[in-house]
Amino acid sequence: MRLRSLLAATSVAALAVVAACGGGSDDTSSGNQGFTEGGSGGGIMNANAPAPAPPVPGAQEGGTVNVWGTSGLQSMHPTEAYFTNTTSILSNMVTRSLTQYMWNPEKKAMELVPDLATDLGQHNADFTEWTFTIRDGIKWQDGSDVTMDDMVRGIKASFDNFAEGAFPNGAQYSKTYFKGGNWKGPFTDPSGDCNCISVDGRDITIQMARPFPDMPFWGSFPAMGPLPKVAMGDTAAYGNNPWSTGPYKFQSFDPGTSRLVLVRNEFWDPNTDPGRHAYPDEWDFDVDRGDPTVLDRTLLEDQGDAQTAMSYDNIQQSSRQQAEGSGRLVTGPSPCTIFWYMDTRKPEWENIEVRKALGTAWNFDDYRLATGLAMGLSAVPATMILPPGMPGRIDPPFDVIGNGGTGTGDPAKAKQMLQDAGALNTPVTFLFDASDPTAVDGKNIIVKALSEAGFDPQPRAVPNADKEDELTQDPDAPINLRHLGWCSDWPSGSSWFSPVFSSEGSSNYSYLSEPKIDQKITEIESMAADQQPPHWGDLDKQIMTEFYPVIPDYYTADAMLRGSKIEGYNNDEVRGMPTFATIWVKQ
Amino acid sequence: MALPPLEAEESLHHADELPETVSEEAIHGRSPMQIAFERLRHDKVAIFSAAVILFFILVAIFAPLICKAFGVELRAYPGSEIIDINTTFGKVGPPDHGFTWDHPLGVERGTGNDLLAEWVYGCRTSLMVASIATILSTAIGILIGLVAGFSHGWLDRGLTFVVDLFLSFPFILGALTLAPIIYSHWAGDASKLGVAQFWALIGVLTIFTWMPLARLIRGEVFSLREREFIQAARVIGVPTRRILFKELLPNLIAPIVIFFSLSLPALVTAEAGLAFLGIGLTERPSWGQTINKAVPYFDQFPLWLWAPVLGVMALVLALNLLGDAIRDAFDPKTRR
Repeated sequence: MRLRSLLAATSVAALAVVAACGGGSDDTSSGNQGFTEGGSGGGIMNANAPAPAPPVPGAQEGGTVNVWGTSGLQSMHPTEAYFTNTTSILSNMVTRSLTQYMWNPEKKAMELVPDLATDLGQHNADFTEWTFTIRDGIKWQDGSDVTMDDMVRGIKASFDNFAEGAFPNGAQYSKTYFKGGNWKGPFTDPSGDCNCISVDGRDITIQMARPFPDMPFWGSFPAMGPLPKVAMGDTAAYGNNPWSTGPYKFQSFDPGTSRLVLVRNEFWDPNTDPGRHAYPDEWDFDVDRGDPTVLDRTLLEDQGDAQTAMSYDNIQQSSRQQAEGSGRLVTGPSPCTIFWYMDTRKPEWENIEVRKALGTAWNFDDYRLATGLAMGLSAVPATMILPPGMPGRIDPPFDVIGNGGTGTGDPAKAKQMLQDAGALNTPVTFLFDASDPTAVDGKNIIVKALSEAGFDPQPRAVPNADKEDELTQDPDAPINLRHLGWCSDWPSGSSWFSPVFSSEGSSNYSYLSEPKIDQKITEIESMAADQQPPHWGDLDKQIMTEFYPVIPDYYTADAMLRGSKIEGYNNDEVRGMPTFATIWVKQ
Repeated sequence: MALPPLEAEESLHHADELPETVSEEAIHGRSPMQIAFERLRHDKVAIFSAAVILFFILVAIFAPLICKAFGVELRAYPGSEIIDINTTFGKVGPPDHGFTWDHPLGVERGTGNDLLAEWVYGCRTSLMVASIATILSTAIGILIGLVAGFSHGWLDRGLTFVVDLFLSFPFILGALTLAPIIYSHWAGDASKLGVAQFWALIGVLTIFTWMPLARLIRGEVFSLREREFIQAARVIGVPTRRILFKELLPNLIAPIVIFFSLSLPALVTAEAGLAFLGIGLTERPSWGQTINKAVPYFDQFPLWLWAPVLGVMALVLALNLLGDAIRDAFDPKTRR
């Protein structure tokens, strides 16, 4: 899944990390079969959650919640929404889909529960056919019934999620796994069809082109919900005012200023919904507010409107002390790992000893300090690929370099390694934002550490952070080291290894192309779902030990602030966002 | 009416020199420069301002020696050696610990760089950028003003148009556009990028400051060129270049000195402002940059912000006061 924005993700204005995510995978990326019960916290799936959802203890109705942030909102079209913030807002409040995530207060974790479907889907033996039974009594915001045609229309629209399609930024799982993935979707190719969906009464059956055990997770995306007929018209206009099936509807949305006001949708019936609550009367999103430091300060001062305000941006390092003392800081894990990717296509990185030397020389502490990363709060040092909470993750964590992902590096040892490999003065080219003094500090620290270790650091200046994001993701950029992150779409190793480390992965920024690894990924994906997790863990270790294509930098975590009158604010570890559905305002 | 014609004529003739006939020595010819300096010497504000400016100039010139004397190093990036990982502030010095001579102004949050070194070199950057840009813009202003004022017809019109063109171009926009171009041009080589940044900044500041002086000079030349000594010089065939630089220029010293002394502080401020906005210098220390970094931490570490702010304030105030004093000293209408 794409992170809402790098800045928010890392709480550093300077860090050059982009977390692209998940379904960038195109038709060619290998399938994943591994969904596992018992990922984060033991029970991530609950097919029998009753509707209506059990009330949040002590919750009061009414009031307006102000949501403040600095990262803006991208496409709010349910088919295209694929950023952590847009997905979470739509899913929790506006658009219902086949399944949904719900906060489990006992396990203090999110669990997957049914939504429009009565359960989490029925599948055949090899996961190539999924059937969902759709509930009765679901209405659009104008009072009309949601028909099975609307459901089929919505699901089929996701075939338009590809670079040249109507929704270039949407997740592409439908095209990857559903039958007829070559179809360009109802907007680009109105006369075509995937011939993959059949309806029988209230049952909707989807045929897969390959086994897709993770379908219930994909079903939780807003794209896997109904679309009304009007949505077939102007997609941009519909994206600015998508029809609601959930507890709230759009009152106004200005994409330019990212100002979104949600008001109650009277046609939402809680008795059909096992996951959502709707305590506040209104939600006022103002999430493109500029200076994050000012935002933190306003929330910390807690005056007037700020008392009923909250943010899903991570706090700035400068606000840390005060935030920790305020008692209004919400913390928790989020599903991303940030890496320094070495471009293994480049001859200078051919020798794994040279790559390991870079990891040995790397000055983790000083770089993080200088760029203002709130270590231990919004970031945790990483030594491996899978972040905490992923099923199959090796525990205790292994560490190829042996420094625990911390410290200031060992230049003497790195130099020795380079000498042994005959690779002194290996060039290390990377980007930095020359307009940001903090980024310049980060660059200077890398240059200092690598020069001491016998590398030849060659930073390349870019004029601003946007340009940096763009170039970092450009495979032809003249650099051999990239700072980027990856977040899982759902809790399974399958959403990590095929997109990031297979030769056809859409976000394989180390450009690792090892038949051995590719084969292993395919092998694990063909295993029974409950057997996969330990193998993903082993693959993690194998990739890091035998290839070391990335220096794991840190795992992300959430550290978000709320006003004193906001209650029921928990951390949604699946998306790294607040649990919107459980939030209420103290009157 | 009662006075005889002759006497009247005589008194008119001496009207200008009347006050100075009181003392014999004063009659010795003194240039406007000499008169101005004489006045400045007796102006306490001017003397004090000059002393402050001299202090900053010395700091700028001897920045490396000052750092050596205090035993501090510029941008050494000691990082976690000196930074407390939990607070991200220094393990010694303010804000969490008492004063230490090792780091008189404390160390920068995060990087652990010494802030005294940063301040001293920031002063150097400020003064260098401001003075080079002022000298360049003064030179350009004089040249264009002289030529435009002295030439009639199309050249004057052309130059006036150029002046208006530059005046109408928005300064911040120009600076904002130029920065990315420079970054992309020198992207690959960080050391050259630093130099490019430095000269580009001077270029931008120069380009946007010479126009008022050019206009001023042009106006002055307009009135001077019809005066008898210029007419005489032309009649006896003095070359134009000589008329411009030997006859006209000495009469324009006052506006030039005033422009120079008033645009220096303006450029110090502009440099700091651009650095604060992130379109100035990032590869070398600058007060504006320190201010930019320090603002979010003002609550915890006020000294970090105060040092460069006071530096800019004191320098700009001193330069402005001295500039005012110089203007007063050159102004024949002020009598003090």
